[in-house]
Amino acid sequence: MNQTAYINDVAYTIEPGETMLSFIRKHIGKSHVPTLCDAPNLDPFGACRVCCVDVALTPGGNMKTMASCHTPVIANSYIYTENDRIQKLRKNIVELVLTDHPLDCLTCEVNGNCELQTVAAKVGIRDVRYPEGKNHLHTPKDRSHAYMTSDLSKCINCGRCVRACDEVQGELILSFAGRGFDSHIVKGFDQSFAESDCVSCGACAQACPTSAISDIFESKSINFTEKTRTVCTYCGVGCNLDVATINGKVKSIQAPYDAEVNIGHTCLKGRYAFSFYNHGDRLRSPLIKRNGRFEEVSWDEAYDYIADKLTAIKAQYGPDAIGAISSARCTNEENYLMQKFIRAVIGTNNVDSCARVCHSPTAIGMQKTFGTGAATNSIEELEDTHCMMVIGANPTSAHPVTGSKIKQQAMRGKTLIVIDPRRTDLAKYAHYHLQLRPGTNVALLNMMLYYIIAEGLEAKEFIDKRTEGYDEFRTQVLNIDLSKMEEITGVDRALVKKAAIAYATAPLAMSFHGLGVTEHFQGTYAVMQIADLAMITGNIGKKGCGVNPLRGQNNVQGAADMGAQPYQGAGYLDVTDPEIHKRYEAFYGAKLPMHEGYKIPEMYDAALEGKFKALWLIGEDIVQTEPNTNKVKASLEQLDLLVVQEIFMTETASFADVILPAATFLEKSGTFTNGERRIQRVNQVVKPLEGTKPDGQIIVEIMNRMGYAQPDYHPDTMLQEISQIVPFFKGVKWNELGINGKQWPVKEDGTDTRILHTETFTRGKGKFRFKDFTETEEITTYGKQYPYILTTNRELEHYNAGTMTRRTNNAIILSDDYLLINPNDAVKHAINNGDMVCIESPRGKVDVKARVTDEVKPGILSTTFHFPEVMINIVTSDVHDEHAKCPEYKVVSVNIRKSKGKYKVT
Amino acid sequence: MGKKLLLKNIDIPGISSYEVYRREGGYKSVEKVLAEKNPEAVVEEVKKSGLRGRGGAGFPTGMKWSFLAKPEGVPRYLVCNADESEPGTFKDRYLMEHIPHLLVEGMITSSYALGANKSFIYIRGEYFYVLRILEKAIKEAYDNGWLGKNIKGSGFDHDLYVQIGAGAYICGEETALLESLEGNRGNPRIKPPFPAVAGLYGCPTVVNNVETIAAVVPIINDGGEAYAAIGVERSTGTKLISASGHIKKPGVYEIELGLPVEEFIFSDEYCGGIINGRKLKAVVAGGSSVPVLPAELILKTAAGTPRIMTYESLADGGFATGTMLGSGGFIVMDETASVLRNLHTFARFYHHESCGQCSPCREGTRWMDQILSNILKGNGKMKDIELLWDIQGNIEGKTICPLGDAAAWPVASAIRHFRKEFEEFIENPAAVKDVKHYYSVNNISEA
Ligand SMILES: Cc1cc2nc3c(=O)[nH]c(=O)nc-3n(C[C@H](O)[C@H](O)[C@H](O)COP(=O)(O)O)c2cc1C
Ligand code: SF4
Ligand code: SF4
Ligand code: SF4
Ligand code: SF4
Ligand code: FES
Repeated sequence: MNQTAYINDVAYTIEPGETMLSFIRKHIGKSHVPTLCDAPNLDPFGACRVCCVDVALTPGGNMKTMASCHTPVIANSYIYTENDRIQKLRKNIVELVLTDHPLDCLTCEVNGNCELQTVAAKVGIRDVRYPEGKNHLHTPKDRSHAYMTSDLSKCINCGRCVRACDEVQGELILSFAGRGFDSHIVKGFDQSFAESDCVSCGACAQACPTSAISDIFESKSINFTEKTRTVCTYCGVGCNLDVATINGKVKSIQAPYDAEVNIGHTCLKGRYAFSFYNHGDRLRSPLIKRNGRFEEVSWDEAYDYIADKLTAIKAQYGPDAIGAISSARCTNEENYLMQKFIRAVIGTNNVDSCARVCHSPTAIGMQKTFGTGAATNSIEELEDTHCMMVIGANPTSAHPVTGSKIKQQAMRGKTLIVIDPRRTDLAKYAHYHLQLRPGTNVALLNMMLYYIIAEGLEAKEFIDKRTEGYDEFRTQVLNIDLSKMEEITGVDRALVKKAAIAYATAPLAMSFHGLGVTEHFQGTYAVMQIADLAMITGNIGKKGCGVNPLRGQNNVQGAADMGAQPYQGAGYLDVTDPEIHKRYEAFYGAKLPMHEGYKIPEMYDAALEGKFKALWLIGEDIVQTEPNTNKVKASLEQLDLLVVQEIFMTETASFADVILPAATFLEKSGTFTNGERRIQRVNQVVKPLEGTKPDGQIIVEIMNRMGYAQPDYHPDTMLQEISQIVPFFKGVKWNELGINGKQWPVKEDGTDTRILHTETFTRGKGKFRFKDFTETEEITTYGKQYPYILTTNRELEHYNAGTMTRRTNNAIILSDDYLLINPNDAVKHAINNGDMVCIESPRGKVDVKARVTDEVKPGILSTTFHFPEVMINIVTSDVHDEHAKCPEYKVVSVNIRKSKGKYKVT
Repeated sequence: MGKKLLLKNIDIPGISSYEVYRREGGYKSVEKVLAEKNPEAVVEEVKKSGLRGRGGAGFPTGMKWSFLAKPEGVPRYLVCNADESEPGTFKDRYLMEHIPHLLVEGMITSSYALGANKSFIYIRGEYFYVLRILEKAIKEAYDNGWLGKNIKGSGFDHDLYVQIGAGAYICGEETALLESLEGNRGNPRIKPPFPAVAGLYGCPTVVNNVETIAAVVPIINDGGEAYAAIGVERSTGTKLISASGHIKKPGVYEIELGLPVEEFIFSDEYCGGIINGRKLKAVVAGGSSVPVLPAELILKTAAGTPRIMTYESLADGGFATGTMLGSGGFIVMDETASVLRNLHTFARFYHHESCGQCSPCREGTRWMDQILSNILKGNGKMKDIELLWDIQGNIEGKTICPLGDAAAWPVASAIRHFRKEFEEFIENPAAVKDVKHYYSVNNISEA
C-alpha cells in the first residue's frame, strides 16, 4: 500500500524513508524550501534550520516545527512549507546569521552565486535589527596554498566543508574548533591550508555555500561566459568536469553533481591542474629537425616530408619496418584512426599503445579466464559490496576519486584487504594488510587460493555451473609448499589465511588491482589468479563483486578496445584469424597483413637490430616512462624517421625528426572509455591553440596525404564507422551518449551493460589454470650483487611523466621525486631525510632525494618517476611479462649509497 | 517523614565502602536478577514501577528500555549520564560521592535487564574527585565478583567503564555524550535515529541518568508495585531535589513525589523557609532550563490549587503559568534578587555552552546574552524586549537538541512574568547600577 502525506494540503505518495525535504523537492520544486547546510552529495546535517517546515497530524492542526532536511516524512502528516510562522522563522534565522557576516556582497567573488545571498533574498531580508556586537568579521584570509583559499569571515558555520572533507574525500582535514558562537572552521591542527595535510581535492570549496572556502580560480564565481561538460584526462576514473570559460579561455572547473562517475567530486588534477593547456611551452607549429635543430615548417611541408619518408621506407624495407605507438590519452576515435592508418594505409600490424606498459596483462589475463579483458563491474557498486580487496594499487593517489570511495567504505567498517609492499594510505584503513615482497604476487595469491580451498569455502555451485578446469586446479593449489611461499612473500601465513577467509566468506567481495599486479614478470598470471579468486568464491556476474582493474590513463581501456594492439584489431578481434582478416580487409578496403605486429618492447629490439625504421608516436614520453631509458634512447637513435605528436617538447620529442603540435583534451571532442567500460563524451571546451590540431585530424590528414580517403575528424561520424566494426560498440551513437555515457557492450538498440558475465562468460565457461610462482630473472641474476629491491609508485599531484602537471601549480605542492627508504636501511647507509641517494642498478645510476619512512619494509625502496631531473627509468630493468610484454617496473635490483653530488642528469 | 529509597543509608558511617554497603544489603538486586535469569521480567518490573527518567525529560524508563533494538550479533550498551552540569543541579554528585555502590549496583542490574555486556558512566570533568570514588567502587565490585566474566557463576559477563568529560555542558545531552564517549567533538546528533536504535558506535544504547539507574535497585529489591505506591498518579517513587538559593537549608533532599511545594520550601524538614525572613519572589523549579515562576504561581496553580512536586502539577498551566520538574534543581529567589540578573547569568551560561551547530542557537544564545548584558549596563531599549522575545521564539523547538529550548525558556518566562523588571531596568538605568536604589524603588528592606 502506498502511503501518502500532504504538502500544503495536497496529497502525494511518499517513498519509504525519504526526508521531508526530498519529498517536497520532488513534488513542489527544487528551490521551494530554502536550505543552507544541505548539499547534494552530503548526509543531512540539520545545522542551519532554515529548511524548517510546520507539521501537523490533522489538516491545519496542532503544528510542530521540524527541520525538513533530516526528518523522515511521517505518513498521513500535513506539511506546511510557507505559512506565516515558518516564513517569519526563516527570515529571523537568516537575519541572525547575517549579524555575523560581512555585508559586502557586491565585491564578493561569489556575488550572484552565493547560497546565503539567494536564501536571504528568498526569505525577504531587508534590514538587520541587531546592534553592533561581537563578530568574526576580522578573521584573516588564508592565501597560503597553491589552489585552496579561505576567507572565514564569510563562514556561516554550515559544516558543509567539514562534511565534504570527511564524507566525500575522507581526508578529515577540516573541523570545527571552539564552541557555540566561538565555533569556527580549522584546517589540520589549526594550520593554514598549505601547512595542513590537505590534498587539494577542492571538495570543500565546491561544497561551501559562500566564498568562505574557495580556490584561486574562484570557481564558484558567475564571472564566466560558458560552461562545458567534459571528461578528465588524468586517469581511468573518468570524472566529469564542468569547465567554465571566459571568451574562449578556461577559467575554472567544478564537478557536476549529476555525474554518475564522480558525483560532484574530483581530485586536484581534474579540478585544478588545467593551466598547462595554454602554457607558454605549448608547441605551436610543426617542426622538422634539420642539421640537429628543429625548424618551424608548415603543416603541408611536414606532411609531405613524412609521407615521402614513409613511402620510401616502406618501399625499401617493407611495411613491417614502420610502426606506431598510439596514446591512451587520446580519444577512442583517434586511437581507432591511428590503428587504421597503420594497418590500412601502411599495411602492418605494428601498432601498440601505452596500455602495453600498464594493463596489457590485465587484458590478456582476463581474456584467458573470462573471455573479456575489462572490468566486470562498476565502481558505484562499492555501496553494495561487503569486502574490498585492493591489490598492487594505490588508488588514493593514482585513482583518487575511486580511492576516496573505497576509503569511505572502509571507514564505515567494510572489510578492506590490501595487498601491497607499501603501507599505502588505504593500508592504514585496512583490516588486513599483506605487505609482501615486490614481485611475489603469484606466490601470495596461491596462498590465498590454498586457504579458501583448504577451508572448504569455495562456491561449489558456481564452480560446477560456470567454470572448467577446477579439479586439476584444486589439486595443484593444494600441493603448493606453504612454508616456501610464506618465506618468499614475507607474509605471515596466519594473516594470509585470515584475509582469504574474509574475502571468501563475505557475501559480496570486489577486487581492485593496479600496476602493482601487472607490471611484473608474472603479471598476466597474477591477473588470472585474481580472476580465479573471484570465480572460486562466486564473486562474478552480480552487483557488488567482480574483478575491477583500476585503469591507469584516462583512455587506456579505449586504446585497446579500438585495436591499438599488434595482435588484435578494433574490437579485440584476432588479426591472424582468416575470417576476421577478411572482414577487416573488406571494411577498410585495403590489403592487410595477417601476422601479428611488434609489441612496444619488440619495436625497440627490432630498431636496435636495424629491422625497424620508422616510429610514429602520439603523446607519450617514452624516454622518461619506458624502462631502461638508455636502451630506449639507443633504439630511437637507430630510426630513420621518428614522428611525434605532442603538446610539449618532451625528452622523447627531442629525438624526433618531425614534431606535430597537437591539441589538448580541452580543445577537442571525442569519447574516452573509463575503467568501468563507460564510454563518455569529451566535448571541446576551447578552440585548439593557434597552430595546433586535434590528433585525430592530424591522422586523417596524413591518411589522405598518403592516398587513403578518410573524412575529416568528427566524433559523430567516427563513431558511426566504429560501431560497424567493433561488436560491443554496436549501439554507440554520439548523440545518444547523454551526460553519463554508456557502458559497453552497447546493444544495437542502445542499451548498455553495467555488469559483465551475468549468465555466462564471454568465453562460455570460466577457465581455471594453475600458475606456479617463478622468481623474476632480475632477482635471480642480480639479486646477490644488488640486494635492495626498488619498486615504483605515483604521487597524487602528478600524472605520469608530469608533462602536464609539472606545468601547473601542482608542482608547487610537490616539486621533486623522492625515494622511500626504511629507517633501518637509512641508518645503515648514513642517509638522512632529504639527502640525495645514489641508486645503482645493472643498467645505470640515478640520484634521488630520500624520504625516510617505515611505509616500506627494510630492504625495499620505492620511488616516483614524475620529474625528468631524475630519470628513474635509467635503472629499471628489461624484464617483461612473458605474455603481455608489460615491463617489470615494480622490481628492480639495486644498490644504494649516500650521494656525493647533487642532481645527476644523464 | 517521607520515605527514603536512595538516601536511606546515607548517614551510615563508611557506606561508601564495599563492606558497609554490602552489609547493609547492597548488591541484593544483582543477586536477585542473576538468580531469576529473566531479563524481560526486570524490564517489566521497571515498567510497573512507573519510574521516569530523572535526567530532566521524565521519559518513562521501562518504556525506554523496551524500545531498545535487539538485532542479532550486535552489542548493546548502557550508558549512565553523570555529566550533571545544569546550574542548580547537584544531586547526582551527592549520590555518587556518598553511595557510589548504589550506582554501580544499578548499572549491573540494569545492564542485565538490557543484555548489555559493557556499560559506561560518563562523568562531568569537574567531578574528578568523584571519579576516584567511583573507580574505587568499581574496583571493589570487580574484586568481589560483581563485575567481570561470568558474574557469580551466572554466565553473565559485564564490564563497567568510567569516562570523564572535558567540561562541556552540552555533553550531558545524550547524543552529544555518545559522540564524546566515542572520542568525537561533543555535538548532538540529529534524530532519528535514536540511541535505542543507533547509539554508541552505532549500536543500540540506553542512556539514563545516575538517579534513574540508582532507583532501579530499590525497584528490583522491593518490587515495582511498592515503588509505584509512592507518589501521585504518573509521578511515582521518590526524587532527589537539589535545593539552592535564598533558603535556610540548601542541600539535596529525597522527597516523595507529591510533596506540596509550599511544604518543601517552608517546612523545617526540607528547605526551612527563606533566609532572613524575606519574602519569596520567584522559583526556578527544575534546574536552569525550566521557566521561572513568580511566588504566587509556584505555590499555587493559575486555577488556585496548591502545587505539588510532581511532573504534572508543576507543568499545570503549560508555559503560560506553569513550569517543569526537570532535573529537580530547585532555585529559590527572595525579594532582593533580580530575576533579570539571574536570567543574564543563565543566558551567559547557554551562550558559553551552545555547541554552535544550529544557527538559531549559536547566534541566538549569543545575542540574548549580549542584549541582556546591554540592559544590565543601563544601555537597554524597549524594543530589546521584543527582540529577545523574537530570538527565543526562533530557538525554541527549532534546534537539533533541547539546549536551544533550555536557553529559550528562561528568557521567555522572565519576559512573561517579570516584564515589569525589564521595563524598569530599561527606563531607569540608575536602578540597575545602584542596588540600594533598586531596593528602595522596589520596597525591599535590606537585612
Ligand atoms: C543540554 C543538555 C544537557 C543535559 N545534561 C544532562 C545531564 O547532565 N545529566 C542527565 O542525566 N541528563 C542530561 N540531559 C538529558 C539527557 O539528554 C537524557 O535525556 C537523559 O540522560 C536521559 O536519562 P533519563 O531518561 O534517565 O532521564 C541533558 C539534556 C540536554 C539537552
Ligand atoms: S581540499 Fe579536499 S582535502 Fe583539502 S580540506 Fe578541502 S576537502 Fe579536505
Ligand atoms: S567554510 Fe563554508 S562550508 Fe565551511 S562551514 Fe563555513 S560557510 Fe560552511
Ligand atoms: S580521479 Fe582521475 S579522472 Fe577524476 S579528477 Fe582525478 S585524475 Fe581526473
Ligand atoms: S540546540 Fe544548540 S547546543 Fe543543541 S545542537 Fe543546536 S547549537 Fe548545539
Ligand atoms: S538544510 Fe535543514 S537544517 Fe540546514
